[in-house]
Amino acid sequence: MGAAPTRIGQQDPELVERTGFSPEQINNLHKRFLQLSGNKDTISRENLNDIPALAYNPIKSQIIEAFFDKRNQHDSEVGSLEEITFQQFLMVMSHFRPPTLEMTAEEKEAMRKEKLRFLFNMHDTDGDGKITLEEYRKVVEELLSSGSIEQESAKEITDAAMLEVASTNVPHMGPEDFYEGITFEHFEQILKGLEMESRMHIRFLDTATVHCGKS
Amino acid sequence: MEDFWTGVLWALKIWLYLIVSLIMIPAMFGFSLGISETYMTILVKTLEWATLKIQKAHADEQELKDLASNGLIKRDNGSMEKELGELRRSRPKPPVGGDFTLSDSFYFTRRGIESIVEDEVTQRFSSEELVSWNLLTRTNNDFQYISLRLTLVYGLGIFVRYCILAPLRITLACIGLTWLVIGTSAVGLLPDWRIKSWISEWVHVMCYRICARGLSATIHYHNRENKPKKGGICVANHTSPIDIVILCNDGCYAMVGQVHGGLMGVVQRAMVRSCPHVWFERAEMKDRHLVTKRLRDHVNDKKKLPILIFPEGTCINNTSVMMFKKGSFEIGGTIYPVAIKYDPKFGDAFWNSSKYSMVSYLLRMMTSWALVCNVWYLPPMHQKEGEDAVQFANRVKSAIAHQGGLVDLQWDGGLKRAKVKESFKEQEQKKYSSMVVGEDSHSD
Repeated sequence: MGAAPTRIGQQDPELVERTGFSPEQINNLHKRFLQLSGNKDTISRENLNDIPALAYNPIKSQIIEAFFDKRNQHDSEVGSLEEITFQQFLMVMSHFRPPTLEMTAEEKEAMRKEKLRFLFNMHDTDGDGKITLEEYRKVVEELLSSGSIEQESAKEITDAAMLEVASTNVPHMGPEDFYEGITFEHFEQILKGLEMESRMHIRFLDTATVHCGKS
Repeated sequence: MEDFWTGVLWALKIWLYLIVSLIMIPAMFGFSLGISETYMTILVKTLEWATLKIQKAHADEQELKDLASNGLIKRDNGSMEKELGELRRSRPKPPVGGDFTLSDSFYFTRRGIESIVEDEVTQRFSSEELVSWNLLTRTNNDFQYISLRLTLVYGLGIFVRYCILAPLRITLACIGLTWLVIGTSAVGLLPDWRIKSWISEWVHVMCYRICARGLSATIHYHNRENKPKKGGICVANHTSPIDIVILCNDGCYAMVGQVHGGLMGVVQRAMVRSCPHVWFERAEMKDRHLVTKRLRDHVNDKKKLPILIFPEGTCINNTSVMMFKKGSFEIGGTIYPVAIKYDPKFGDAFWNSSKYSMVSYLLRMMTSWALVCNVWYLPPMHQKEGEDAVQFANRVKSAIAHQGGLVDLQWDGGLKRAKVKESFKEQEQKKYSSMVVGEDSHSD
């Protein structure tokens, strides 16, 4: 028939638990996964690269890399994968679920931390747990186009931002001290006041396809 | 043994006579005996019954939502400035250097993930999803057993489609094509009398009518007073090669295209003998000026048939209209837009050329229920003063999309196979950098 098994949400209740999506949403995302992978079981970087709307995004390569980053799989492994399966795709997507009303304050806090962790991982490309000056500068350069501003301006902006982070977190740093890089704790500290809940999630709709039979 | 073969031969003869009398003769002369209408009425009733059954079976579950209008996600379509401003509000501005904060990347990350989950373009290159099952095996995605009767109807449907309808349609299609080749070649042998063009038009239309019967196509033409006239250019949205059969059922057009080898080549050469079509060699297609010149010469000759062009350049799945290439709109002359919309209930007309070859696509078409489509002829359009080809193309595209109830997209259909240019990314980068650096130009 050529139609893929789309009842995957019902078949794998573990997925629902681990990722927090409803079975409907999992089915919809599975269809999307198949669309992107060309009906295969895994997605490679090429498949994500081919999405036209993503081409508009200055940090496209970081975002794509985030999907293949092992740290986002809720494991403690480091490194990157060549291709990802649907389960791994879902795990990455689960970082973007909105908080539900039934969540306790602790759960919301944990979710926020998870989202921050995801973003931290995106900036910390070599996986050593710190965002160094180099890595930070790279992000700035990607966001601002390399043509219209000069290297010097990017450097200035990066240095200023790093300085601010350092002064916030290590207030008694002397002039000779070398600030190695932003650790996750510092990262959290900087963004403490940031109202992330409404900005860093994607509202997945519950569109039901027609179901025949009892489900 | 002999009796068996004589029996088979006799049955075959009856079969052919039936086809000729009941289908071909009416097709040739343009009237209808009402057989296909009866078939369609029965079909519609059956599908409605099936839909009702399916709906009743889960009336206690959530109601049917229209998949086409809901996406997968709800987007916040705020502009970059607005969203970045909101992200930054909770933080004080850094005193030195550009106005850049780490949180700015969050906005781009979210937009990126949204694009990965759902984007406007990728979904247009695969078949449209149906709201309710239409009893075809190929659209059977989520559907499970409901009732015995439904399964019986489904089984009967398979039998009817594959054992009765498909051989009939294949026979018709073969007859239609053969007749096209023979007829047009025969007309080509006639000397150049005035009546020759009339005969050639008649032969063309007749053969396309037979082919349309070969697909059980039911076509509704609207606004026929706007039909393309000689010396004009007819422009339509493209879903499959069958579009040509659909349009040519109601009038004769000059085709534009590449010279192919094989069966297509034979058909092309035959057609060009009876009336002038515009076929290009592969090498000639690269030279845009040559192409435009030839088309312009054709259009300027008021005695020649209107040209049929599909400016999208590739097949789209009939839910949207993608970017029209401006080449067709630079020729000059009057543009006659035509909107074609297929009804997906009876069969999916979209040709996914990466998934199916032409032959398997045609077989799929012949084993669907039927092909129902609406064709709207729109009033002719001219290029306005001060309007360039791209704007004109977009104007025509919007008119077609509006009439056919399709989504009007700015993206290029060529993205089916190619990638987006880097320049799009640079645009976003420039926008962002002007926010960060430009705002703060007085601080250093």
